[in-house]
Amino acid sequence: MRWFGFGFNAFGQICVHNELSKDEGRDTVSDVKIMNPTELHRNVDKSVCGRNKCLKTSQIRASWSRRVWLHVDGDSCVCLAGFGGTSVVDSSGCTDTVLSETHLTLAFSDRIESWDLQKKEKTPAWSMEIQPPTDTSGPPLSLPLVPGGYIATKPPFYRSLSPHLKAKSLALGAEHAILLSATGAVYTWGLGSHGQLGHGGLTSEEEPRAVEALWGMPMKHVVTGGWHCACISDGADLYIWGWNESGQLGLPSQSLRKGHKEESSQQAAADCQSASINPGGKPLEGEKDKEVFISIQAFPALLDISPSCEIRTVSCGSRHTAAVTATGDLYTWGWGEYGQLGHKNLISTDEPQCVDFFKEQKLYVVDVVCGPWNTFTAVGEEEVKLS
Amino acid sequence: MTALWSKLSAVLPPNEEEFPLQFSDKVESSVVSVLQQSRRQLYSDATSTDRTLTAQIILDLSWEKLNTGTWRDVDKEWRCVYSYGCLFKVAALCREHPSADEILQGIRTCDMGLLMGAAIMDNVLQVLVQILQEEVRKSTKEEKINKKRKINKLTKYAVPRIKCPSLESFKSDYLLPLRPVILEATADHWPAFNEHPWSVEYLRSVAGCRTVPVEVGSRYTDEEWSQTLLTVNEFIDQYVLNRVSDGAKAVGYLAQHQLFDQIPELKEDIRIPDYCCLGDGDEDDITVNAWFGPGGTVSPLHQDPQQNFLVQVVGSKYIRLYSPEDTDKLYPHQSSLLHNTSQVEVENPDTERFPEFARAPYLECVLQPGDVLFIPVQHWHYIRSLELSFSVSFWWS
Repeated sequence: MRWFGFGFNAFGQICVHNELSKDEGRDTVSDVKIMNPTELHRNVDKSVCGRNKCLKTSQIRASWSRRVWLHVDGDSCVCLAGFGGTSVVDSSGCTDTVLSETHLTLAFSDRIESWDLQKKEKTPAWSMEIQPPTDTSGPPLSLPLVPGGYIATKPPFYRSLSPHLKAKSLALGAEHAILLSATGAVYTWGLGSHGQLGHGGLTSEEEPRAVEALWGMPMKHVVTGGWHCACISDGADLYIWGWNESGQLGLPSQSLRKGHKEESSQQAAADCQSASINPGGKPLEGEKDKEVFISIQAFPALLDISPSCEIRTVSCGSRHTAAVTATGDLYTWGWGEYGQLGHKNLISTDEPQCVDFFKEQKLYVVDVVCGPWNTFTAVGEEEVKLS
Repeated sequence: MTALWSKLSAVLPPNEEEFPLQFSDKVESSVVSVLQQSRRQLYSDATSTDRTLTAQIILDLSWEKLNTGTWRDVDKEWRCVYSYGCLFKVAALCREHPSADEILQGIRTCDMGLLMGAAIMDNVLQVLVQILQEEVRKSTKEEKINKKRKINKLTKYAVPRIKCPSLESFKSDYLLPLRPVILEATADHWPAFNEHPWSVEYLRSVAGCRTVPVEVGSRYTDEEWSQTLLTVNEFIDQYVLNRVSDGAKAVGYLAQHQLFDQIPELKEDIRIPDYCCLGDGDEDDITVNAWFGPGGTVSPLHQDPQQNFLVQVVGSKYIRLYSPEDTDKLYPHQSSLLHNTSQVEVENPDTERFPEFARAPYLECVLQPGDVLFIPVQHWHYIRSLELSFSVSFWWS
């Protein structure tokens, strides 16, 4: 699979442009904000682990300042890039990874290890043994789920989960969590201040609570962003809820529109000195009708990405969202000031837009993984598409 | 080097080595490296674009931290990081021949740091903003507007008025029995009434380009109510003067804001009432809030957990007071968030939903410039401004 990345690159976590300029402490905008989707691991000779295997990257995870990628091909290999340089992690047999700003967690068949990225130690900061699952009929649990619970992003690392919940997958935001059960039910808990729990209010929940609005509609995929959640139903519809201050829900965002207005009026003021600008009093042309804005969506909302299409997978960054359709297109929306939307500009938007780059290059998008401020997409051959 | 930059840089450490950047483990090393990058750029030959870019990364990241969890729990370290971001951004904006607009942006950035960050480097943002304000003042003219006084209306259940009581008599007659009273001639000596009489234009000249929180909407119990950030000039232009006469424009209120911490120059114009010394707390524990807005701003009937001196400086307000003993007739909201607020619209009560309200005894008054109203702790109060108004409240215990 070929992978592309775009967005925040201040630490070279997408690609390193010029080693020299990094040392002198010079950032240029084009180095830090990658607006055009850029292919990863293009230069095989400079491949980190010295093998061509980086081309067979099967999994990518990204934190604010780093990216980790895993290739499972015989002897699996985990490589790290970004703050602290590029390196290979001692990881033969690793099957799964989770990356936070402070820790890299690796799953092996018999154990889980969490490495402290801020200290260069030879042993993991934390580890635990796991029993290989007795019931091998279902798919293996993916991190952060482990048998009996999950691995958190900060201590205590292991948190138990009631077997009642029949956890099938789990996504963790900074202060909230979403869980998908084997029955397709969705549970959320943690901080609710921005509607990110989807229960219709702003109160927090200490224990997993079912998202009743989705009851009766089985989900197959759940993800979290900084202050929002998204999930895909069995029928390939996308549901989304939480904070919409940057348009990350794909719903009309007042703060976004206001921000654009301010920028354009500042630009206008700079351009024509003699004209007097009314400070935000009059509405712009075309906005005379009262539009309904949503800053917090506390109940799940169905998001129609026009033209209506089936959603294959979705991922969320801090304040943006990216979705892949069954027809191989990538749509992004939300905060775009670091180029993380891939529309070749730095503009945030509250309307899902197709990333034309992949269409133009006739590339078929099969997967997307978001870091807090960037986005990584995998493209494959059209024949390989799954039904 | 521009004259402005030489003033600004004089306030900053002379070189990289003497610029402190120490944080706890809470701030990840990747973030510290960006802060160090900004510090390096401050003392080297970086471009303005590069400096702004690095500062913005710090601001964007720390802004996310500030919005994670509850405000109370936000680690002070992240608020410091946010302030550093503001500092580096201001330095980048105002270094090379800044335009008038860039200086205003610099002031706004300082204000964001003062409002949301935590004091760093001996409150350097406060010092920087005053240098920038001075720069702006040099290029603007000032106009004076005269305000007329309205005549006081006598009412049947009037709040008693007394002129400069002694500490002892105030304590025995009003504080201990928790009885409201208006103290006349008590704030007469304030510079806000003498050397620097407060007016809209005076406020513009002292704080016009400063960013402040504004409440938009008729009352904070309404669904349409929201808060936004505006400069004082924008607030005055949009919500105090030039208002749409058909009432289509919402009410805006600069309410419950510790303006005097943000703009120390205004603090010089007011004095803490002497009677506050009768309380148990320290002077430092007294919360001073500004309340500035057009006629028609309403604070719904509510109670506060501390004693309050409400000083009227400009304009007049209609105030009604109910005793906490009659709380059962005031129908407070059930939710914990609004438990201190009554559901009743005082000047337009729904007699079907709130039948007992009409039987609750009350005191009322029109507070005039110079009046100091004593609102005893937990005493219910409803306030509506009758005209452009500026009040200062002192919450003490």
